[in-house]
Amino acid sequence: MAMAVFRREGRRLLPSIAARPIAAIRSPLSSDQEEGLLGIRSISTQVVRNRMKSVKNIQKITKAMKMVAASKLRAVQGRAENSRGLWQPFTALLGDNPSIDVKKSVVVTLSSDKGLCGGINSTVVKVSRALYKLNSGPEKEVQFVIVGEKAKAIMFRDSKNDIVLSVTELNKNPLNYAQVSVLADDILKNVEFDALRIVYNKFHSVVAFLPTVSTVLSPEIIEKESEVGGKLGELDSYEIEGGETKGEILQNLAEFQFSCVMFNAVLENACSEMGARMSAMDSSSRNAGEMLDRLTLTYNRTRQASITTELIEIISGASALEAAK
Amino acid sequence: MTLNLCVLTQNRIVWDSEVKEIILSTNSGQIGVLPNHAPIATAVDIDILKIRLNNQWLTMALMGGFARIGNNEITILVNDAEKNSDIDPQEAEQTLEIAEANLRKAEGKRQTIEANLALRRARTRVEALNTI
Repeated sequence: MAMAVFRREGRRLLPSIAARPIAAIRSPLSSDQEEGLLGIRSISTQVVRNRMKSVKNIQKITKAMKMVAASKLRAVQGRAENSRGLWQPFTALLGDNPSIDVKKSVVVTLSSDKGLCGGINSTVVKVSRALYKLNSGPEKEVQFVIVGEKAKAIMFRDSKNDIVLSVTELNKNPLNYAQVSVLADDILKNVEFDALRIVYNKFHSVVAFLPTVSTVLSPEIIEKESEVGGKLGELDSYEIEGGETKGEILQNLAEFQFSCVMFNAVLENACSEMGARMSAMDSSSRNAGEMLDRLTLTYNRTRQASITTELIEIISGASALEAAK
Repeated sequence: MTLNLCVLTQNRIVWDSEVKEIILSTNSGQIGVLPNHAPIATAVDIDILKIRLNNQWLTMALMGGFARIGNNEITILVNDAEKNSDIDPQEAEQTLEIAEANLRKAEGKRQTIEANLALRRARTRVEALNTI
C-alpha cells in the first residue's frame, strides 16, 4: 500500500522536477493551476506543501514499522536458533532426501499473513510451484497445504484444485511448540502422503533469507528405503526398541520429526518475515526522505517564482504609472 | 572413553556434555547405557533419567520423547526435561495432588487420558526429587 502511494507520488512529481519550474511545468492537477492569473502554468505552494506533509507522514509510519519489526525479530531470533538443534538428530538418523522419488508428495508452503515484507512470499510460492512441476508426472501427484494469507492469495488463482488445506492467522496465537504440534496434527490427519516437503524461508542473517525445502518421509517409505540401502540403510543397523512393533515406533518418530521440523520452519519463517519487513521499511523510509528533499527544492523554487512574479507585477505597474504621469 | 550426552527440548538444550553412564527409561523397561553400546533408536517414556559423572549420580525428569544412541553419542529429544535440582519440592508435591484430584474428577475417555498423563508427569517430578 505504501509502495503504491510512492509510485503515484513519483509519477506526479517526476515531470515537474525534470523541467524548469517556471517555463514548462505540466501539472496533472489542473484545479491547482494559476493559469488564468499568471498566464503561465505553475504548481502552487499549497499543493507542494500538502504533498510534503503526506510524504513526511509516510516516512514516520515506515520508520515506526521498521522499529517494531526489529524488536519482534530480536524476540523470535533466539528461539529460532534454539529450535535448530531439534531436527538435526533426525537428519543424522534418517538422512535428508529431497530428491526422493515418491508417488504422493505434499508441499507445505509457509508464508506470512501481513504484507509489506519484501519478496519472501513470492519466492516461497515460486519454489512450491517448481516442486509441483518436478514432482508431477504419470502416477505421481502433488498436493498443497498452505499456511499464511499471502501464499493463499497467490496460489488460489492457479492451483485451486490441488490445495488440500489452508491455515491462516497462525501468528495470532503465541508461537510455541504446543500450537505448532496442533497444526502438524491437523495436517497429518487430513492428508495422505509419502513425502512431506516443507517450503519456508531460512533465516541466515538480517539481510539474507533463503527459501529452503525440508523433506519428511512417511514411515512406510522409510522402511522401504532402509531395506534398499544408502543413507537410510544405516537405520537398519539401529535396533529399534520401546514399543510393540518397529512400524509403530517409526510412525511415532515420523510424526515427532514432522512436528519438530514444522516448529523450526515456522520460527525461521517468522524471523525471515521480520527481517524482510525491516529492510523493506528501511528502504521505504530512505525513499521517502529523498522524495522529501526533492519536494523541498520544488517548494523553494515555486515560492521564489511567485515572489519574482509579484515583484515584476509591482514594478511594471509602478513604471506604467510613472510613464503615464 | 566417555559418552557424549545431549538432551534437547523444543525450546532449549538441557544437557550437552560428556558422561560416564546413563540409565534411561523406555516403554519396554529401563536400559543402562555404557560406552560402546550398540546403536539403538528408542522411544523414551515419561520417567526419570539418571546420569553418572565420576561416581556421582544426577537425576533428570523427562516427559517423553525419543532417544538415539550412536557410537558413543546419545541424543535425547523430549517434550520437556527438568533437572532435579531445578524442581521445587513443595511445588512438585502440590502439582501431584492436583493431578490426582483431576484424575478422580475426570469424565470421558479423553479427559481420563489427559489426567493420566498429567499425573505421570507430576509423579516423575516428585520421584526425581526422591532418588539421589
